[in-house]
Amino acid sequence: MQATGRLSVSVLGAGLIGMDLATKIMRSDCLDLRLVAGRHDAAELRRAARRGLPVATGGIQSLVDAEEDFDVVFDATNASFHAEHAEKLAASGAMIVDLTPSRVGQMIVPGVNREDIGSHRDISMVTCGGQACVPILHAIARAHEIDCVEVVTTAATLSVGRASRLNLDEYVQTTQDAIRWFTGVEDVKALVNISPARPAATFRVAMYLRGRDLTTDSVRALVTRAADEIRTYVKGFGVSVCTVNDSTAFVSVEVTSSGERLPHYAGNLDIINSAAIQAAECYAAGRLALAGRETA
Amino acid sequence: MSQEAARDAAAGRPVQIHDPTLRDGQHAVRHSLGAEQLRAYLKAADAAAVPVVEVGHGNGLAASSLQVGRARLSDDEMMSIARETLTTSKLGVLMFPGWATTQDIKNALAYEVDLVRIATHCTEASVAERHLGFLRDEGVEAHGILLMTHMASPDQLAEECARLVGYGATGVGILDSSGHFLPSDVTARIGAIRAAVDVPVMFHGHNNLGMAVANSVAAAQAGAGILDACARGFGAGAGNTQLEVLVPVLERLGFRTGIDLYRLLDAADIAGRELMPAPPTIDSVSIVSGLAGVFSGFKKPVLDIAAREGVDPRDVFFELGRRQVVAGQEDLIVEVALALRAARDGGSPAGSGTGSC
Repeated sequence: MQATGRLSVSVLGAGLIGMDLATKIMRSDCLDLRLVAGRHDAAELRRAARRGLPVATGGIQSLVDAEEDFDVVFDATNASFHAEHAEKLAASGAMIVDLTPSRVGQMIVPGVNREDIGSHRDISMVTCGGQACVPILHAIARAHEIDCVEVVTTAATLSVGRASRLNLDEYVQTTQDAIRWFTGVEDVKALVNISPARPAATFRVAMYLRGRDLTTDSVRALVTRAADEIRTYVKGFGVSVCTVNDSTAFVSVEVTSSGERLPHYAGNLDIINSAAIQAAECYAAGRLALAGRETA
Repeated sequence: MSQEAARDAAAGRPVQIHDPTLRDGQHAVRHSLGAEQLRAYLKAADAAAVPVVEVGHGNGLAASSLQVGRARLSDDEMMSIARETLTTSKLGVLMFPGWATTQDIKNALAYEVDLVRIATHCTEASVAERHLGFLRDEGVEAHGILLMTHMASPDQLAEECARLVGYGATGVGILDSSGHFLPSDVTARIGAIRAAVDVPVMFHGHNNLGMAVANSVAAAQAGAGILDACARGFGAGAGNTQLEVLVPVLERLGFRTGIDLYRLLDAADIAGRELMPAPPTIDSVSIVSGLAGVFSGFKKPVLDIAAREGVDPRDVFFELGRRQVVAGQEDLIVEVALALRAARDGGSPAGSGTGSC
């Protein structure tokens, strides 16, 4: 931990997710960005260096070899690398926030289970679609008897980077697992579309829930409350449709990006990164409170 | 081109017919085909020596869903019936990355499917990299096919097809998912793809503007080696290229399909009798859908939702086209219908509004 009362933080991965995370960390009051490590001397990384960010090109090894230990490491690489990254960082004691759909660590959706953050060293931010749907599905499933859930995510082609394209299988599986775990509903299906539309389609998540006791009034109230909570850490979160017909609730949400370096349609990047920052800041608050008690 | 010149150009070149009647046709009957219907048509197509027959939910493996409709039969049931019934025709399945996963492909391989098609939207070939690579490693014939191809230029499609071949595709192709193309559009696209790859190139037509057979002929003349066609045109929206029309037309033009005409006509009669309440027609809504460039499979959900919300389905299609929706985005239909109703009634959409829904 820094003398400044901020946690030292590094970002592993210099793709769309990693670079936006770096920008968001720079704005945080309690996170201090110490390193962004990519695997190649990519144009993105060189641009980041010109903006004054500390960068390295050795991937995970750059973090292991760094002179300082990091309090928090964000893994914004590829699902198939995450377990190895977590193992290599275990000795450093860093808290790892996983942005890949690896399903290795404890799943965290800040609007639902913030309290689990402090007790795990490796936390998973699920998926962008998972961050958008879980708080809403969780709220409805707690109040109603739900037989099945289906979630359809659509993201604009320019907002889906190479690792995400290679990880579509993991995306589907991890999103389904998260919905089951958070709602207790077994019959769950997740689908994802990548839209080639120009101008680009805004990130969108549509949810279907089947349950005999669903009513329009109840579902609307639950969705409104859950959306208000999400908006405390994802400003561009909005509900576009919320209806109940024939025992099926249909809720669709759109997320626009509020990050200055992201195009407005890239809400998929914004929501998972905002959730990750929120999780890291919760962890920081816990650490700093503890440190405060120790010194007092 | 005169008929003689066309025959000379074709010069007995083989064209492989790929028959997705039992997959694309599912869109026309809400994915409700049953076991006896599958058996009846599979047997007939097999007897006619149709080279490849495809089965599945309308959107392929694992696509039975609330979004598009739940299938009456599971993937396992459909593949099992097809495997038992087919003796000469190859068995094909379709898979969309993001809708199905490698696990679903593995499951299909347990039924010894002969050909797996991996489908992505027109500019998104890169999402097929893993699945095509997996099938290459398994030694299974795998084709990469592009959906909604009216949304991309011939050069873009050629580039995407070259990418698919790089990932391991042993055939590539384009679907006119919206029935939007005219023959010259097809000629340009197939020509550009042929110049970019050295594997067979496929064309899959829809008949919204009455062009499916003409477009398929244009594709063959531009060098396509695989053409999709369905019995009675059984398929989404206005239907697909009509199989029992396309085959004799190709033969007259000098292409060889290897299909027995009388048995093909028998198969089409069985399809007409057993699979569908009525053959697909180009109704007014289908024309609008084709003009708007919207996926043909949207027809039934658009009609359902437009009726429920009291709006004109033609307006829904044009607005969906303006938003450039792609197959798989059926969830936008409700939003568009509610917005149209609100615009008409002069208020904000019921059940919508940012934040306070």
